[in-house]
Amino acid sequence: MSVVALQRLTREAEELAAPGTDPAVLAALLAWTVRPRRTLEGLRRALAARGAPEVPLSEALLAEVRQHLAESDAAAASRLLPRWRARGCRLSVVGDPGYPARLAEDWPATDGPVLLATAGACPPAAPTVAIVGARNASSYGTGIAAWLAEAASAAGVHVVSGGAVGIDAAAHRAALEGPGGTTVVLGCGHDVAYPRGHARAGGLFDRILVGGGALLSEQLPAVAPKAGIVRARNRIVAGLADLVVVVEGGPRSGALLTAGAAAERGRPVLAVPGDIRVPGSAAPNRLLAEGVGACTDPADLLAALASDRVAAAATLPQAPARTPRAVTVLPGEVHRELAAAWPRAVPGDAVIHRSGLPAGTVLAAMTRAQIAGEVVERADGFVLRRAPEADGK
Amino acid sequence: MVRGLAVVRGVALVGLRPLEVRVEATCSPGLPVLKLVGLPDAAVREAGERVRTAIQRHGLRWPGERVVVNLAPADLPKVGSSFDLPLAIAVLAATGQVPMAAASRTWACGELGLDGSVRAVTGQLPLVAGARQLGARELLVPATAAAEAALVTGLTPVPVTDLTDVVAALEGRRPDTPLAPVRPCPGPPAPDLADVRGQPLARRAVELAAAGGHHLLLTGPPGCGKTMLAERLHGLLPDLTTDEAIEVAAIHSLAGERRPDDPLRVRPPLRAPHQVVSAAALVGGGAGIPRPGEVSLAHRGVLVLDELLEIPRAVLDALRQPLERGEVVLSRSRARVSYPGAVLLVGAANPCPCGHLGDPRRACSCRPDRIERYRARLSGPLLDRLDLQVALQPLARAALLDGTPEEASAAVAARVAVARTAAAQRWGAARLNRDVDAAVLRRTTARPALARLAAALSGLGASARAFDRMLRVARTIADLEGREVVDASHVEEAVAYRLPPVPVPA
Repeated sequence: MSVVALQRLTREAEELAAPGTDPAVLAALLAWTVRPRRTLEGLRRALAARGAPEVPLSEALLAEVRQHLAESDAAAASRLLPRWRARGCRLSVVGDPGYPARLAEDWPATDGPVLLATAGACPPAAPTVAIVGARNASSYGTGIAAWLAEAASAAGVHVVSGGAVGIDAAAHRAALEGPGGTTVVLGCGHDVAYPRGHARAGGLFDRILVGGGALLSEQLPAVAPKAGIVRARNRIVAGLADLVVVVEGGPRSGALLTAGAAAERGRPVLAVPGDIRVPGSAAPNRLLAEGVGACTDPADLLAALASDRVAAAATLPQAPARTPRAVTVLPGEVHRELAAAWPRAVPGDAVIHRSGLPAGTVLAAMTRAQIAGEVVERADGFVLRRAPEADGK
Repeated sequence: MVRGLAVVRGVALVGLRPLEVRVEATCSPGLPVLKLVGLPDAAVREAGERVRTAIQRHGLRWPGERVVVNLAPADLPKVGSSFDLPLAIAVLAATGQVPMAAASRTWACGELGLDGSVRAVTGQLPLVAGARQLGARELLVPATAAAEAALVTGLTPVPVTDLTDVVAALEGRRPDTPLAPVRPCPGPPAPDLADVRGQPLARRAVELAAAGGHHLLLTGPPGCGKTMLAERLHGLLPDLTTDEAIEVAAIHSLAGERRPDDPLRVRPPLRAPHQVVSAAALVGGGAGIPRPGEVSLAHRGVLVLDELLEIPRAVLDALRQPLERGEVVLSRSRARVSYPGAVLLVGAANPCPCGHLGDPRRACSCRPDRIERYRARLSGPLLDRLDLQVALQPLARAALLDGTPEEASAAVAARVAVARTAAAQRWGAARLNRDVDAAVLRRTTARPALARLAAALSGLGASARAFDRMLRVARTIADLEGREVVDASHVEEAVAYRLPPVPVPA
């Protein structure tokens, strides 16, 4: 490859490079990785085998790829740039100021990605919790995930997750409006709409970006969400977080990978106990059996973060004073039923049967409550959006 | 030598639209052959052989000359065997065996056997009704179909069993016993709503559907009682009036599903085609003049489509026009026909491909994107027309064994009848709330409350068009309460049947 081509690529990469990222390093890495049978992960392993570099990471990386620059492809790399640009992404290299510091700790011994494409703001240095779990989640799981994420975000804790449907989405949704904010680690390239419902215009990802959150991906923009790639992103979720909370997942859930990656980095893991007869509880219950802490309350989550970051404990806000909630728009007996079942959903028939009210009255009340944002209707029934106060939580 | 030209009138049907056919016959010197002109199809061409044999076997004379029969208008394709009788009369008149003047005043339809007997044809009832529309006062009909023909007011059917009767009738010798029309038959007793345990939501939706004619979509895991509810909804509908029953019977007769001696059914029809139904079978079709499909056969009744999402999308989309207009218009190269098709559609579907989404007894094993794709099969425009959407839950065993009696169909049907009467008085002409124009409907609503609600709902993703459809259901809810003005609480309940439960956590 000619030096001229690489220089041209460097100039093109300049506007995509995150602040503090050297476009020349970025261009060299891109031109190197677009060729077949080369992965940035392989590059990290090669560096790791040689022990921690004495020079800054970007220099070590540049030195490594320079050996193979002749076989690089600047033209192919240059074709990728517009796709990132269209998604509003900035690229950062490990060790740079635009790259999350926690993820780069001990690199290359830890397995953070060499290159990270970020849409939105770089995840803040604030205490961060990863709330992860299954896509095929029950209303119990999504209810708990939302409860934890909302409380964490309200306490100024940043929430990361994998952006999938189910637990991940519930956590992102609940966190995105709080002061803590939320970050998604995609399981595919930025230019692939997956999961489709979240990636569509006005979907969850748009709302996260508008709310000041971020979408991260280690992949080139057009990489499809293959199983291996989706599972690999779980290590990034773990690497970004000070604490991983596993809410719900089957025996082979990716949430276990996230927990494993966090354990490798020596970061604490909590699990939310699940119903032992439900297959979706296998992952958290196995973690509990292995000795991780139980998370039964947002206070558990905040306490784990505080003990882990003793130095940062001063900056960690306490659980916020309870804000008085609006009076319920539901009839008293209906609200009691939903509050008793929370976070499980109650089927409409059961609400009608137990409250003793006519079907029409209950349905009209449910519509009012949905407009007021108090209740959500799901496939398995109606569920309160927020934890009821009556149980003292 | 020019001999007499005999003209007898018959009826051709294009769909349900009757057209007058003049059967003209004349004899002229030449070889003794029958020449049939005027676009006859195979069945009509064979009429020549039937008529000739029947006349000869009955001791009447077939002319030893060239016989020319024209079916006018000559450019209209003629199908079926109903022209046998007018053809025979025309030949008998042309040969002077029956009075020419009487024949020229005669309307007739029926098929001839080789022994000269007169038989009923497919579509006998719409033919009789058609003859009445075309101005016939008297009609020669097969004796077996006479009682059915007597249902048509303003027309005197003259029953004939064979050609001897025909000659006698044309010579003015008629049986003077007045014909008793077919008696309406109430049909077997419908299954009762009291058999449905629990399911208060579905019971309410079924009541609303019966009262307002709103289309209903029931989703739920296998075995939760979807089909059971559809049958009971049918039982809640009021009986048809005699005119309506005749209209329905005419369609069934045309489709060959009704014999002339069948009793007149006053219960609305209930049709439940299997899910591998084709578009032609559902809305009508076929070679030549399209025949009525299941939608038309269920006219004024209930059309149940089980496993709605297993029906190909193209077939489902064919339902949109009948659901919107209450009739099916089939345009083919040979003909453009329209059949009535005002049905109450009851769709039943599994909530997801495995059927267990939302089932507390069994976990759903479907990936969320598959659920989304599965539901997308029910196209938006069709889904929009299903005003009442209810997710059913399988019943817990305790509820099944619970001894408390549920409300019986009779009590619900009484409320339904009151609401239907209120709607009919308001809109006139037995119209259902389902079919009322949105602009007219809005005049009966409390405006300020609704405006606020519409704004709130647009935030939940309900379009203005969807809101208009919700208003129709709200109108029915108000009617069931006996209220003249639709207020916010009625609309709120109506909306609850439309907000689809999100398959993935929202």
